[in-house]
Amino acid sequence: MTRQPKLLTRMFAHLALLVLVAVVLYPVMLVCKKAFEPGRDFALSASPIPHELTLDHFRSLFGSNGEHLFVRQALNSIVIAVATTVVGVFISCTAAYALSRFRFPGRKAGLTTFVVVQMFPATLLIMPLYVVLDKLGLLNSMTGLVLVYSTTAIPFCVWTLKGYFDSLPRELEEAARIDGASPWMIFREIILPLAKPGLAVTGLFSFMTAWNEFILASTFMTNESHYTLPVLIQSSVGQFSTQYGVFAAGAIVTSVPVMAVFYVLQKYLVGGLTAGAVKG
Amino acid sequence: MSGLLQRQLRDFAVAAGLAVVIASVAFVAARNHDVIDRQLALAERSVAALAADGEVLPTVHGALIGPAISSPKHPELRHRNLRDHGAWRLLAGGDPLHPDDKLFYDAAAHFDREHQPFVELLRDGSGRAMAATAHGSGPAAETAVAITEPASPAGYPLLVMIGVLGLGGALSAAGALVGGRGARVGAFVGAFAGIAVLAIPALLWQSWFAALVIVVVAGVTAMLQRAGLTNKLAHGLVRDRVAVSFLAPAGLSMLALVAAPFLLGIGLGFYDHHQGTWSFVGLHNFIEILSGNGRALDDPLNFWFILGVTVLWTMCNVLLHVTIGVALALLLSRKWLRGKGIFRMLLILPWAIPNYITALMWHGMFDGQYGAVNSILHGLGMDGVSWFTSWTAAFSANVITNTWLGFPFMMVVALGALETIPKELYEAAAVDGATPWQRFRHITLPHLRPALGPAVALGSIWTFNMFNVIFLVSGGKPGDSTNILVTDAYRWAFERGDRYGMAAAYGTIIFLILLLWNVFVARIVRSKGDDDS
Repeated sequence: MTRQPKLLTRMFAHLALLVLVAVVLYPVMLVCKKAFEPGRDFALSASPIPHELTLDHFRSLFGSNGEHLFVRQALNSIVIAVATTVVGVFISCTAAYALSRFRFPGRKAGLTTFVVVQMFPATLLIMPLYVVLDKLGLLNSMTGLVLVYSTTAIPFCVWTLKGYFDSLPRELEEAARIDGASPWMIFREIILPLAKPGLAVTGLFSFMTAWNEFILASTFMTNESHYTLPVLIQSSVGQFSTQYGVFAAGAIVTSVPVMAVFYVLQKYLVGGLTAGAVKG
Repeated sequence: MSGLLQRQLRDFAVAAGLAVVIASVAFVAARNHDVIDRQLALAERSVAALAADGEVLPTVHGALIGPAISSPKHPELRHRNLRDHGAWRLLAGGDPLHPDDKLFYDAAAHFDREHQPFVELLRDGSGRAMAATAHGSGPAAETAVAITEPASPAGYPLLVMIGVLGLGGALSAAGALVGGRGARVGAFVGAFAGIAVLAIPALLWQSWFAALVIVVVAGVTAMLQRAGLTNKLAHGLVRDRVAVSFLAPAGLSMLALVAAPFLLGIGLGFYDHHQGTWSFVGLHNFIEILSGNGRALDDPLNFWFILGVTVLWTMCNVLLHVTIGVALALLLSRKWLRGKGIFRMLLILPWAIPNYITALMWHGMFDGQYGAVNSILHGLGMDGVSWFTSWTAAFSANVITNTWLGFPFMMVVALGALETIPKELYEAAAVDGATPWQRFRHITLPHLRPALGPAVALGSIWTFNMFNVIFLVSGGKPGDSTNILVTDAYRWAFERGDRYGMAAAYGTIIFLILLLWNVFVARIVRSKGDDDS
């Protein structure tokens, strides 16, 4: 057993951690304060304590302008994120199962492809995607965005799910096969119910990918009523208007749900993210 | 004989499917092009009619817009009058606002600025076209503006496609039915001709490129068939049909939305885009990028400068992430520490916040006049920093933001790795009288490596591509000098005169750099892993 260090060292360690926690919390507190404090400031000022409390920023966010733009864009975001989740998880769970259970020529190449693709951000493809979507008339359309998002999420989802399927015992499948079940039946009736936790993690990851994305959405959507929430929030502190109050209110409304999800899931995220990088 | 026919028709069906997709894409593109041309022509004709005091079609919204008149009380406030449907009214004065009024106002302002008749497609993606020209002359001249309805594009020519497919199938089958000594040649010619026929609709829509691609597909199919590769492939697919059916959805969508744009991106790098037209320029974009195009090495638009900034940016961040992350993980793994769970939960907060929000938040805090960072500096008796006017300050602002949001990942990874170290090792080391540094160097570090290696690899690639922080915190300021490669490529495409070709060439170069880096990192990670096992 290593000896306990001196009291002074221990106090210093606690103090250092407290300072770091303060550095982490301070910007977040500024945003919270801004959201509840009246006034249209040009920046986030220093004091984390509001003089006065108001819900004005939330009110103006939720559509005092009569058009309910925020509600509209929140709906866009929800629809796009849910569709991305469904499409992304469906597409990747079958692929992950094949890569986990079957041996066929090109399997290794397939796995490597998913790793390599995961390394390249959609931002790099933004220009050719813009041209493709433009030609297909899918600019300014939710379908286009959902397709792009779910493909971006596939590599991560495939790797995470493959890891999950690998950890499931094969005996059940063998028993089912002897009883004459077809591969699809085994997948549907045995594997999918067992893999529910893994599916939940990948699903929520796809959801977060779509929910938090801003640059593709702002490039492919030119019409305000088609914007998603990140685009709205970004434009509230953009070049032509600086409304940090509205930004702060919007930031709280959009990020609190995904942050809650993140805290539940973060254990699984690390495994999925690093698995792809080593095993390739 | 029937086996041969079967093979021929099978190969035809696959290749024809591909050809139909290509032809359909060509059709949609040609149709959109056609619709745009018609809309522009309609807007132009309508505005000419308005200028000559004529009538416009009922589907076109035409209006005459008066000059901007200053308000007597507030000369800086100006309004315009507008006449549509036969009566004058105040432009943008109605409540609710007429949906086209903003367009009319902008068109009149645009025309006043340039005094040139113009016709353009509206940028809102509705497919409407707008034209403007002068009506009358002198200071009281009005502007005639016409906006067309959204277009209704032509339907898909299903009959043409079915007819061509039938013809191709027949040709293909006829080739397979040639008997005797000509059998092999017959099958080859039939396979080629049957598929090549599908280039006809593409030719009808004047998509020479699509037609060429279809002919190439035909040639490749015929040659593959001749070499027996289509048979081999078909048998492989039948043998592994379960695996293939499970992989198909992911494979197809990756093909359509990753592989296709990727190849297109590489191709577009060889073109130059100027005001809506593409021209082939060969390697010109690449040469312009890699040679720096005569710009000095410290010019922010010089590729090598940006590459230098990107590499420096990646190294600074990864170094800070790893150092802070590992240090915190070591602290948090001490037995005597109180409130471990709470510390851990609070410290990963930056990772939970969507990174565009983090970036905007720090952008607000770095504001020179009202920002929190400068207020704190003042409070400490220091001078405020004008964060986005010097390169060092702006770059530091970016790094600070990214460090804040990036260290929790490394911390969590390191914490996970520390948990796997058996306590006995430390006890044995203590018995042997090892110093804390020796324990860290010979026990902790080797156990951290296998987990940190991949995390560092991943982190370096994330940071290399960290678009949001650069784009939203410094935005490249001052004068584009803090851009990294991905944000600079974006600016070529969407902010520096739509130079899509240039941006595509940038994308290709970034891809090659990342690929090299990947191979390099994968090798290091793997060899380290082998050492330890």
